[in-house]
Amino acid sequence: MDPQQPEPVSYLCGDCGAENTLKTGDVIQCRECGYRILYKKRTRRIVQYEAR
Amino acid sequence: MKDGRLEQPLYPQECRQGRISYSGEFKVEAVFQFNDGAPIRQTFNFGHLPIMLMSKLCHLRGADPRKLIYHGEEATEMGGYFISGGLERLIRILILQKRNYPMGMVRGAFIKRGAGYTDKAVVMRCVHHDQSSVTVKLYYLQNGSARLGFWFAGREILLPVGIVLKALIDTSDREIFASLTCCYSDKRERGKGVVSTQLIGERTQIILDEVRALSLFTRTQCLVHIGKYFRSAMEGFEKDDYETVAEAVIKDYILVHLQNDNHAKFNLLIFMLQKLYALVDQTTSPDNPDALQFQEALLPGHLITVFLKDRIQDWLQKSKRLIMEEITKNKSFQLNNSLEIRKFLSKYTTSVGRAIETLIKVGRANSQSMLDLPQREGMTIQAERLNFHRYISHFRSVHRGSSFAKMRTTTVRKLLPESWGFLCPVHTPDGEPCGLLNHMTSICRISSCYNSEGAIKDFQKIKDKLLVELVRGGMIPLLPKMEHTGPPEILHVHLDGCIVGSIASAKIEEVVNYLRRLKLLAHPATPEDLEVGYVPLSLGGAYPGLYLFTSPARFVRPVKNLVSLPDGEPRIELIGPFEQAFMEIRCPDGGDGGRKKEFPATHEEIHPTAILSVVANLTPWSDHNQSPRNMYQCQMAKQTMGFCGQALKYRTDVKAFHLQTPQSPIVRTATYKKYHMDEFPSGTNAIVAVLSYTGYDMEDAMILNKSAVDRGMFRGDIFQTECIDLSAKRTENVPEIFAKSPLSRDTNNVIDSDGLPRVGETVVPYEQYYSIYNTLTGAIRPVRLKGTEPAVIDYVALNGTNSKGSLQKVNIRLRRKRNPIIGDKFSSRHGQKGVCSQLWPDIDMPFSANTGMRPDLIINPHAFPSRMTIAMLIESIAAKAGSAHGKFIDATPFASSVKEDGENRCKYDSIVDELGPMLASYGFNHHGTEVLYSGLFGTELQFEIFIGPVYYQRLRHMVSDKFQVRTTGRIDQVTKQPIGGRKHGGGIRFGEMERDALLAHGASYLLHDRLHTCSDYHVADVCSLCGSLLSATVINSDTQKKSKRHMLGLNTVRPAKNFACQACQTNKGMETVAMPYVFRYLAAELAAMNIKLDLRLSNRREAPPSNESC
Repeated sequence: MDPQQPEPVSYLCGDCGAENTLKTGDVIQCRECGYRILYKKRTRRIVQYEAR
Repeated sequence: MKDGRLEQPLYPQECRQGRISYSGEFKVEAVFQFNDGAPIRQTFNFGHLPIMLMSKLCHLRGADPRKLIYHGEEATEMGGYFISGGLERLIRILILQKRNYPMGMVRGAFIKRGAGYTDKAVVMRCVHHDQSSVTVKLYYLQNGSARLGFWFAGREILLPVGIVLKALIDTSDREIFASLTCCYSDKRERGKGVVSTQLIGERTQIILDEVRALSLFTRTQCLVHIGKYFRSAMEGFEKDDYETVAEAVIKDYILVHLQNDNHAKFNLLIFMLQKLYALVDQTTSPDNPDALQFQEALLPGHLITVFLKDRIQDWLQKSKRLIMEEITKNKSFQLNNSLEIRKFLSKYTTSVGRAIETLIKVGRANSQSMLDLPQREGMTIQAERLNFHRYISHFRSVHRGSSFAKMRTTTVRKLLPESWGFLCPVHTPDGEPCGLLNHMTSICRISSCYNSEGAIKDFQKIKDKLLVELVRGGMIPLLPKMEHTGPPEILHVHLDGCIVGSIASAKIEEVVNYLRRLKLLAHPATPEDLEVGYVPLSLGGAYPGLYLFTSPARFVRPVKNLVSLPDGEPRIELIGPFEQAFMEIRCPDGGDGGRKKEFPATHEEIHPTAILSVVANLTPWSDHNQSPRNMYQCQMAKQTMGFCGQALKYRTDVKAFHLQTPQSPIVRTATYKKYHMDEFPSGTNAIVAVLSYTGYDMEDAMILNKSAVDRGMFRGDIFQTECIDLSAKRTENVPEIFAKSPLSRDTNNVIDSDGLPRVGETVVPYEQYYSIYNTLTGAIRPVRLKGTEPAVIDYVALNGTNSKGSLQKVNIRLRRKRNPIIGDKFSSRHGQKGVCSQLWPDIDMPFSANTGMRPDLIINPHAFPSRMTIAMLIESIAAKAGSAHGKFIDATPFASSVKEDGENRCKYDSIVDELGPMLASYGFNHHGTEVLYSGLFGTELQFEIFIGPVYYQRLRHMVSDKFQVRTTGRIDQVTKQPIGGRKHGGGIRFGEMERDALLAHGASYLLHDRLHTCSDYHVADVCSLCGSLLSATVINSDTQKKSKRHMLGLNTVRPAKNFACQACQTNKGMETVAMPYVFRYLAAELAAMNIKLDLRLSNRREAPPSNESC
């Protein structure tokens, strides 16, 4: 993988809920509705919690 | 306000998220006219105006819960606040003097107005229709005359009252004399309701003589006299004649609420003089300015209106100055050129909008004049959503004014009977703001310009109709001039500060009853919040009269009217604090209240709990508690960790507390349901055993059952939202964005490839969790987590702000787990707070003989005898019965007194008698006690233990936020002593009193350790010859020697005498002395002031060789 190109991250639109995949330098705006608040999706990595 | 998308409204939640203000464009249409030319209408952009949530301009106006939730709001959102910079701020309700009522005041400060002044005056806060006010004071002079005072251009102007009287209308000395003295009759003896004495004739003489002495005889002469005085100071009247100036002064500064009606002003001034003389002669008592009877509220809308008027005046003046300058500079400038004029007018426009925004944001009303407001700063507060109690209390709080907080006297803080039913006697904080920050009772409202249907009241129409009804009732309307007798024959009728007529005192009660009847029948002449302030005749009491108020900003509350109407409709009447003082209101809890048969009660309280605020109303059976305990509970309810809101998912509060497993209380008051407190629960029904078990429950400590905590009791979280805006804090115009270093291949990192943390990951202290990329230098700056506890990334929201939309503004919310640990604070609903001292294992807890239940919580029995919180004991019994029976128990205070006259008559003398048999029917002891076995020994406890469920709250004070510990760490740069402050890892000061304690114990080693070794221990080189601490210098060869010794393998401890004294030019006298470093600093500071500090290193007592004495 090219170290200069970080992998894109997906976000959810705060208004319509559509999934947006953005790269570094992309405009922060939903492609579907143009809403400007995006929420980051929960990580797909394994998360370990302390069950105490 | 619109966001980036065209025609898409910006909703409040987006403003909170983006840390911006919820505001709208502020456009003003101005009309200007040049001489007789055509008027030109033009729109000016005044910047932005903050919009109150749920107001008429708010996007959420009239939204149903479904829509509210869709837009990220609470389903029960009430609005009433502004969003400024993402924070919710509301305008504080301040107490002001009651408008348009002449108050008789005695105040020592009045003497200082000048020579001959006394401490007595009649003060009237006159409020214009646009809500701006001018306070007028009528001072009494020692010689019997009076001066009219008002604030003008930053100072108080004092005019002889005679001149003002003559300037108001065309009148004669005889007429003034007759009007003033009409209230006195020499036939009368001093008796009930007689307010005037014979001295009034002489005083009138003095007033008239004063005017004559100035050789002012006609109205014109008086106007010219006033005009001369004011013309230079009145802006815009420089070229007018004196009479016009004087008339403008009278219109804008003297009794402004009457506007242009000079006859009404004359009559009112005469009345004020009569009241002043009555006050001086002690035929009436002074009015108490601290009593709610003579107070009203400053409403947010009124404050903004007044401030806006002031700012627009400022804008006009500034623009005028600009145009004037331009005219003098530029001869060809044409005033009728509207484009040019517009250019100058639009120069300062945005300052108006900005001033309003700062008013909301900072709470400061910047203005040249005082605006007749009690304070300029602290006008707004932040509405914290810690829990619902705290949130609603902000909106119900009424502050007396910040100037009173500094006063040493406690008179303003006292609870006065006048505030009965309007301000809660229980809900006031203890400590500094005690009695100054009050809360309105749950039923108290404030009258406004809107009627109950939401339409704007037409005050003129109401006045006209009311006058018709008053005349029908028997009032003699006022001819232009008031030449009647005075009390006790007739009483004057005031309507919003205007004398409208008089009623014979024999008929007055009839008229009052007639008005009240009209109020009950919702007659159009009498608005529902009409205040019928009938002050009856008395001997040396308040000045009698009938004072009617329809104005906004008054406190009102509903009571039952006992007059029987033919249709038997619900007879609820709104009353105000002014009239309440003279009304007979029965309280169901108080019996007949000591009333005699001649004065039967005309009204009745709806419920005795009407005197309590929302929060105080939620305390169960507060009538069984000692009153300070109820006050403490009001405090603690506002600090409880609970549900701050259902829309927590969308909230971006800097700090939000959240209880994971809240419960609905088994024992609750009627208010609990009324306010839907189940939407915002704030505690847990814990099984509380009152016993001294392990000794860990001494001194208000409490033992929590560890298993109960493990099952989820009192578990909570803290949500912290960080808003990182890189566009705001960038320096030197270098844009920074969020990005991860492209070289970093570390996939175990919390930082995702966009430079932001991964949602759901745990971050430990000092771990990097986001990184900032400087686009110019290409430098990556990772940011580490502060604090001492791990945090979970709860959400990451990206805000696209500008059109470029690069990743510059994010909200990162962190969740910190807060399970109950030793040192966390809990409290019942009865002011019984305690700190968790142990999480005791379940198997070692005592258990019940019947049920085998183990308590969740153990408190010490010593918590009860001195505090007398009987309601907590009742709550325990009631909740036990309720949970066994499977129903909620009503714990409304004073309920028994209301029930008695109802059909379901109370069968029992006390609540315990009611609940006891219920408990017994389920096999429990009648008094709520149970046989318990020791969890440690398995033996039966000697006594039966009081045990039952009590609703407990977890308070937000937690050790995790407070503990402070340090061994070594940062030190102060100057003194080399450890720094203070928990945030910086500092220590706790070991102060003088602590030092004294160790000295008294003779613990000198410990003292030396604390104050020296662990602090700024320092070894200094002192020259014993000259005694100087500062003259030691290093000998150059020292470092060489040291390295040589090191090479030779010799020990590198500092060789002796490698220092020399700069002053003595020798190293012979050099000694090392251990001392605190600050001492050396002191020597240096003293040297800077040319004082030498001389150290004597031997035990010699005589002075050093130098014969300078020190």
